[in-house]
Amino acid sequence: MARYVMVIDSEKCMNCKACIIACQQRNHVPYGISRNWVHETDSDSSPCGSKFQPGACMHCDDPSCVRACPTGATWKAADGTVEIDRSRCIGCGSCIEACPYHARFRHPVTGTADKCDYCHGSTPGQTPACVAVCPVHCRIFGDADDPSSEVAKVLASRKAVHIIPVGSGAKPTLTYLDTTTPAELPAGNTVSHPVDTMRPLAKGVTWVGGLVLAALTGTFVRQLVKSSEKEDEEIAAEKKAASSADKHEKEDNA
Amino acid sequence: MIRRHSRSAMFMHWFNAICWIFLLFSGFALLAGEMQPVGQWWRNLWVGIFGDRGLLVAHLAVGTIWVAVYVLYILLFCRREVLPFLREVTTFHMKSDIEWCMKKGLWLVVGPKRTMKMGIDPTLPPQGFYNAGQRMVAVIAVIASVGLAVTGVVMGFFSGNVDYAVSETVLQWCIFIHFCCAGIMAIFLPVHIYMAALAPGEGPALRSMFTGFVPEHHAEHHNPLWYASLKKNS
Ligand code: HEM
Repeated sequence: MARYVMVIDSEKCMNCKACIIACQQRNHVPYGISRNWVHETDSDSSPCGSKFQPGACMHCDDPSCVRACPTGATWKAADGTVEIDRSRCIGCGSCIEACPYHARFRHPVTGTADKCDYCHGSTPGQTPACVAVCPVHCRIFGDADDPSSEVAKVLASRKAVHIIPVGSGAKPTLTYLDTTTPAELPAGNTVSHPVDTMRPLAKGVTWVGGLVLAALTGTFVRQLVKSSEKEDEEIAAEKKAASSADKHEKEDNA
Repeated sequence: MIRRHSRSAMFMHWFNAICWIFLLFSGFALLAGEMQPVGQWWRNLWVGIFGDRGLLVAHLAVGTIWVAVYVLYILLFCRREVLPFLREVTTFHMKSDIEWCMKKGLWLVVGPKRTMKMGIDPTLPPQGFYNAGQRMVAVIAVIASVGLAVTGVVMGFFSGNVDYAVSETVLQWCIFIHFCCAGIMAIFLPVHIYMAALAPGEGPALRSMFTGFVPEHHAEHHNPLWYASLKKNS
């Protein structure tokens, strides 16, 4: 199985934003929003006074967006992609809230969650639009487990850098090379509280519900073995015995 | 024989039961990962039958029909059945009701003989039209149903609706409340079905949900307070 990774040499980026436009066009993202971005940071060491950092969905391992989805509409696929199935998405926005990179948004036409899918949805099997269009070739995309791929080679020869929003514990797979600015991102949310609370509650339903079913089965079996009429008779007999014993006791005392 | 349930009430009960069970089962199958209370096999089973999108559509369709029929019923039978039912099931007699629930619990779990050995008289306090357990389940069912209906309608209408958007926080809390109501009923429903359909001695009550009538001696024995008030009024 392939393990797809996007690698970006952000030091080469000159902020032309061709990747953003190519992505919008290939994936029919409506005007005004986009699946990817270029962060700009003031820097004296850069000839133009700024450093640029292209980014998009980080296709994290153990992604917080996947944990926040109540319907299983988004998942980490075996090939490393974090996928969205629109037909299962109910547009609740929990995953959008739980992404510390703000890589997800609500698509204004479909009403469902949307983000980078390496162009799998629009052009399966092709190079992602942002990679194909980049004039300085700062993006490399491919199967990191295939030693002959460009991605595997560059990952083997250069230092891999990951940017992580402060305190988020995210495990991004999108990799920058050698150095990138900014080195970390501002703190971001990783949970959607209402949906996050459902997880322990679901455990509770499993256990209490299971216990109730087991208890009822037990009771049912017990009552199959012994009819309630018979039990009624036994109670009546025992009550009689008890009250007569009571009497005897009283008589003895007298 | 005494009339216990009207035709409309019986129809609504069975209509409700079928919808509820389908909605509960299919609803649980919509949940994924750690939010799935039954297990992944449950989801696979239902998705296998209806398909991913189909399951959601079926759940929404049955839910919509359920809400629509209930709204009609409540409007048409408000004075005649709905309000009297609500009054009946919300009339609690705390001391006797708690005693009833404890003793019935002991009866079911340890049995009457051992209850007596514990020094407790297993005789249940006399009950009216519904016993304490039925009233408790009925109140929970009504609250859960209202919660599910309201949040269900909000989600059904606004989820993925790009023309009339509602804040995503509202949708997320709706999912949460919807889940809580379903989860509570998932725990109480087996109890209700057991007590109504499987427990020995309840045969006449179960048949009354189809025929509308219970034998006099059954009412006298199970619902003495109701029986007494019927006798007084006639
Ligand atoms: C196979 C499923 C079910 C069976 C066999 C069943 C059976 C019954 C019976 C026999 C009664 C009448 C009790 C009496 O006359 O004393 C009853 C009442 C009632 N049922 Fe069900 N029922 C089922 C499912 C449901 C479901 C799914 C709900 C709601 C979520 C429900 C809610 C009620 C309520 C509110 C009452 C009235 C008061 C009470 O007994 O709590 N039932 N049921």
